[in-house]
Amino acid sequence: MADADTDRLAARRPLSPHLTIFKPILTMMMSIAHRITGAGLYVGMALLTLFLLGAAIGGGAFSAVSWIASGFIGNLIVLMIVWAIFHHLLGGVRHAFWDRGLYMDPQGRELLAQGTLVGGILLTLLFYICKTLAS
Amino acid sequence: MTVATRFKSGRTGTGDAYVSDHSGSPHARFMRLTSYALAPLGALSAWWILGLAGKSFDGVRAEIGRPIPALVLLAFGVVGMIHARKGMDDIIEDYVQDQTLKAWAFLANLWASRAIAALWTFAILLIAAPK
Repeated sequence: MADADTDRLAARRPLSPHLTIFKPILTMMMSIAHRITGAGLYVGMALLTLFLLGAAIGGGAFSAVSWIASGFIGNLIVLMIVWAIFHHLLGGVRHAFWDRGLYMDPQGRELLAQGTLVGGILLTLLFYICKTLAS
Repeated sequence: MTVATRFKSGRTGTGDAYVSDHSGSPHARFMRLTSYALAPLGALSAWWILGLAGKSFDGVRAEIGRPIPALVLLAFGVVGMIHARKGMDDIIEDYVQDQTLKAWAFLANLWASRAIAALWTFAILLIAAPK
């Protein structure tokens, strides 16, 4: 009896807001992306460290790392690292605006979220284009 | 917490969930301050990292062997991994609920970040330090 009462009361309680409860909105997605790119850069730095160690030691060590780095997977990892740097950087700039109380209204924060997403992709593209032109 | 549990204030109590270690705002300030350095360092590093894939052994060493790329990448790696360690601490605090596992995760994060920063520095010095 007591259990049934408890269950009925529990079912009527409001749920704690969580990812599956909230409607997905851009500012929330950019917050999640900020965290994912941050964690991704941690892994990316570990992979780059392996690459640099290979280049520092030379010989077979370099052959091993460059076999992966010069292929499709290596280029994909570099693309993801470069994009993650820019996305995370712009995410930080967005926080710098918010720290100063700027762009906190609905339009403003939506604009910053869009700017983070588009800006990260544009800066990555720009760097790839400039690098191709420079080499 | 049940009705019988007396509330303990974070400032005065010794309870678990209600006690703050007062590290919140220093943490936020640290992340902001390091990010001021990391924004230019990260953009410049991205430029040189972009050139690494597909380069020959001599090409990679020539690129990283120059003083400015070497110093910028070095600073980015070290400051970046300190920033990344603090950021990963946040993630562990949010997602790892088991207290024992959490303590191990903090320790693993601390030493992984130190190892990455140290090996990163070591590799760049091996390539770029004047002989």
